Amino acid sequence: MAEAEKPVEPGSAENILTKIENKSGKIENLIKQFKPAEALQTALEDSPPQDERCKSANWTVVHKALMAVKDVEGMLLSLDPKYYDILMKYVYRGLSTGDPATCDRCLKIHEKLTEKVGFGCILRSLADTVNTV
Amino acid sequence: MAAVAVHQFVQCITCHAWSPDQSMIAFCPNNNEVHIYKLLQDKWEKLHVLQKHDQLVSGIDWSGTSNRIVSVSHDRNSFVWNQEGPEWVPTLVILRLNRAALCVQWSPKGFAVCRWVSKVIRKKHNSSVTGVSWHPNNILLATTSTDGKCRVFSTFIKGVDTRESKTGSSSDPKFGEQILQLDLSSSWAFGVNWSPSGNTLAYVGHNSMIYFVDDVGPSPLAQNVAVRYLPLRDVLFVSEKMVIGVGFDCNPMVFAADKSGLWSFIRFLGERKESSSGPKSGSQISEAFGKLYGQSRQGLSNDTVEPSKIQGAAHDNCINCIELLKQKGPKTKRFSTSGMDGKVVIWDLDNQHDLREYL
Repeated sequence: MAEAEKPVEPGSAENILTKIENKSGKIENLIKQFKPAEALQTALEDSPPQDERCKSANWTVVHKALMAVKDVEGMLLSLDPKYYDILMKYVYRGLSTGDPATCDRCLKIHEKLTEKVGFGCILRSLADTVNTV
Repeated sequence: MAAVAVHQFVQCITCHAWSPDQSMIAFCPNNNEVHIYKLLQDKWEKLHVLQKHDQLVSGIDWSGTSNRIVSVSHDRNSFVWNQEGPEWVPTLVILRLNRAALCVQWSPKGFAVCRWVSKVIRKKHNSSVTGVSWHPNNILLATTSTDGKCRVFSTFIKGVDTRESKTGSSSDPKFGEQILQLDLSSSWAFGVNWSPSGNTLAYVGHNSMIYFVDDVGPSPLAQNVAVRYLPLRDVLFVSEKMVIGVGFDCNPMVFAADKSGLWSFIRFLGERKESSSGPKSGSQISEAFGKLYGQSRQGLSNDTVEPSKIQGAAHDNCINCIELLKQKGPKTKRFSTSGMDGKVVIWDLDNQHDLREYL
C-alpha cells in the first residue's frame, strides 16, 4: 500500500523536506491502520532536522502522529527508549502552540513520560540548545 | 544509614577540603574567605579565617603530602597557604586568567598545580573550566568546561616527571599537549574524576547525563548514561567499579559497572521519600505538577504549599562538592559531601551490603 517514494539524496534542505514528505505518507497509512504508536516512532526517526523549514515540516508530521495517539501509556511502552528525549522536546513544542487540543494531548504525554523516564528527560530536552525542534 | 555524620556549619558551602589527618576541614562559606575548623572534643571549633581573596572562593584543596592549602577564587587569583606556627601565610600564585578560577586540585605528588593548570587552560579552553582532576600517574590532567567538553592534557615535563612506561622518552607528549577531547555533552560539563587505576574517566553534564570513558587515549570507549533525575554537579570514584554522583537531588547517587563494564544507576545512597498520596505529605514538586496537569494530587487546597523538604535526606539543598576521606580499612569507603545548605555530611558505605560487590 506504500506509495512510490521519490528519489532522495542526503544533504540539502529540499531533500530533507522530500524525506519528510515520504515519512508523512507512511505515517498517514499507519494511522489509518490504527497503529499510532508506530506512526509516532516513524515520525520521530531522523529528528530533528537543522533547517528551520525542515523543523516546521517535521513538527507537522510529528503533531499529526501525536494527535492520533489515544492510549498514551501503551504508546510509551512500545516506543523505543532512544526516542524519549526527542519526544519530550516535541511535547514542549506542542505545549508552546497554545492550541487547546494540542496542549491537552501534550500535557497528558508529558505527565506519563515524566513518570516513566524522570526529570532527567525534561532537563535533557531543555539543556540541549543544539538539537532543537 | 549511609550518612554517619551531619555537620551544619554555615548557611551555604561552596567547596571543602580535609587536612591530611582529617582532623580539620577547610571550606568557603559562600564568600571570599576560607574557614578552617577543627574537631575538638566532639565539637567543631573555628580555628582560622583565611582572608585574602576579593571574591568568592570557588575551589580549595589541601595537599596530603605537603599540608599546604591551595585556594582559587572568582577574583582570578590563587593562593597557596603554608602553616607557619599558628598562622597560615599566603603566597600569591599568578594565574593570568581572563576568567574566574572555578576549581583546583593538588597533583598526587603534591606539586603546585595552579600554575600548570593555568598555563594549560589558557591554550585550549574558550570558556570556563568547571572541574579538574589529576590522573594517578601525576602526568595526565582532565578538565571539564562550560563548553560541554572534557579534555585530557599531558603535563609531562622532561626532567621533572619520571615515566614508568616501557616506551622510550621520544614518545612522551609535550607539556600542555591535548591528548583527548570528548564532546559528548551538549550542555555544561562538571565534575571530572579518574578511577583509582586511572583507566576510567567519569564526568557529568548539566543535561542529566553522566559519561564514563574507558581507555582514555586515541580510541576511547565512552558510555553515556542518562540520569533519571536532576543533574549532577560532582562525581567521585570510590572503587574501580563504583562512582558516587552528587548534585541537585540533594542525595548521592550510586553508579556501578557490571562484569562486562557496563555502567548504570544503582540507587540513591541516602533515604528518600517519594511524594506519597497521603494528605499533608506532598512535596513542592508534586504540587507544581498537580497544578500543571490540572488536578489536585495531594488533597491539599491550592493555597497551602508545604515547604519542600525531602524527608530523611541528609542534605536539604544542592550538593556541589564530594571528597574522598582516608579509609579505615582496606575496603571501607568513606567520603564527605558539602552543599548549598551549609552542611558537610560524612558517608560510610560499610553497612551498605548491596554495594559490597562493587567495592
